[in-house]
Amino acid sequence: MKVIASVALCLLACVGALAADQCYQDVSLDCGQASNTLALPRCNAIYGEYGRHGNVAKELQAYANLHLERSYEYLLSAAYFNNYQMNRAGFSKLFKKLSDDAWEKTIDLIKHVTMRGDVMNFAQRSIQKPVEKKNYTVELHELESLAKALDTQKELAERAFYIHREATRNSEHLHDPEVAQYLEEEFVEDQGKRIRDLAGHTSDLKQFITNNGQDLSLALYLFDEYLQKVV
Amino acid sequence: MKAILFAVVALLAVCAPAFATQCHVNPVNIPKEWVTMHRSCRDSMRHQIQEEVAASLQYLAMGAHFSKDTVNRPGFAKLFFDAASEEREHAMKLIEYLLMRGELTSDVTSLITIRPPERNNWANGVEALEHAVKMESSVTKSIRAVISACESAKDFNDYHLVDYLAGEFLDEQYKGQRDLAGKASTLKKMLERHPALGEFIFDKKLLGIDV
Repeated sequence: MKVIASVALCLLACVGALAADQCYQDVSLDCGQASNTLALPRCNAIYGEYGRHGNVAKELQAYANLHLERSYEYLLSAAYFNNYQMNRAGFSKLFKKLSDDAWEKTIDLIKHVTMRGDVMNFAQRSIQKPVEKKNYTVELHELESLAKALDTQKELAERAFYIHREATRNSEHLHDPEVAQYLEEEFVEDQGKRIRDLAGHTSDLKQFITNNGQDLSLALYLFDEYLQKVV
Repeated sequence: MKAILFAVVALLAVCAPAFATQCHVNPVNIPKEWVTMHRSCRDSMRHQIQEEVAASLQYLAMGAHFSKDTVNRPGFAKLFFDAASEEREHAMKLIEYLLMRGELTSDVTSLITIRPPERNNWANGVEALEHAVKMESSVTKSIRAVISACESAKDFNDYHLVDYLAGEFLDEQYKGQRDLAGKASTLKKMLERHPALGEFIFDKKLLGIDV
C-alpha cells in the first residue's frame, strides 16, 4: 500500500515538475463539456517549485509582514524624536526615511507574492525564528535609537540572505532564481548601504561620547543638524 | 577561576553606576503652560491614529486580493494600495498635530499596534468598493467622535483641533466617500447585465487605460 502511495506521489511530483501543457489540457477538457463555466485549475501563475517545496513562499510573506511592522515602529521613533523635549529633527528624519522605505517594500513584497501566484497571508511569520517579537521601544535616546535601527536593519538584511539561500541552495527540490534575483536587485544592495550608513553614524557618536562626554550636548545638537542635511 | 571572574563581574555591575559613561543629555524642564490638550481629547486622538493604521492594513489586504493571478484586477489593486498609503499618511498627520501641541513626550510605543486585517476575500469589485465605503463611513464617524470629545472637554473647547479635524479630515472623508460611492454605483449598474466585461473594463479605467 505504502509503495503504491509513494509511487503515486512520485508520479504526481513528476507531473508537477513538468509544467508542459497543463493549462492547455484543462482548456481542452473543459471546453468540450456541456457546462457553462470553466474551472481551469491549472491555468495559474505558479511555476517552478514555488510554494510546493521549501519555505520560500511562506518566508516571502513573512518578510512582507516584518517590513510592515518595522515600518510603523520606525514611524513612531520618528514621532518621538520630533516631540518638543527631544526636538531632534535630524534623527526624526532618519527614522521617517526608514519607515517610508519599509512601507514601500511592504507593498512591493505583497505584489511579488501575488505575482508568483500565491496568496498573501498577513499573519504569516518566519519559520526560521518563530514569533520573534523583539520588544521595540521608541522612547530611547539618540545613540540607543541608532543602535536599534542598526540591529533591525541587519535583521532585515540577514533575513533576505536567508530567503536567498532557501531559494538557491538549502532545499534540494527548490531552485528559484526569480526570487533570488528579486532579492538581490530590490533589497540586498540598498540594505548594505543603509547598514554602513547607520554603523558610520554610531561610530561618529561614539567618538563624541568617549571624549569624556565633555562636548556631548553640543555634539548631539550638531550631529542632528548634520542628519537633517544628509538623510 | 570562574568564581573570581564572577565576583569581578558582580563588582563591576555594582560599581558601574558610579562611573557610568553618560551617553545622553539629561532632560530639562521648561514651562508646560502651553501644553493644553485635555486627556479625553488626547486619548480619542490616540485611538483615531490606531483606527487609521487599521484601515491602512485592511486596504493592504484588499490590494493583495485584487493582485492575485486568479482575480487579476490591477486597477482595483492600485486603488486600494494607494488608499492604504493614504490612511498611513492620515495617521502621520494626526501624529504631527499631537507633536505640535506638545504631546507624545511619553507613551509613544503603545500608540500603534499591528494586527492582521480582519478580512482577506471579496467576491468581486463591487463588494470591495462597498466594503471600502462602509470602512470610510466608520472612520468618519470616529473622527466626529474625536471632534466631539475635543470640543466638550470640561472648561476647554479645543477650537483649533476641532477646526483642523473638521476642515481637513472631514473634508477629505466626505469627498473620498463620495468618490467610492460613485465608483460602486457605476460598477454595480453594469454588473446586472455584464458582470465579467463590466468589471474588466472598469478595472482598466481605474488603471487609466481606455479599452
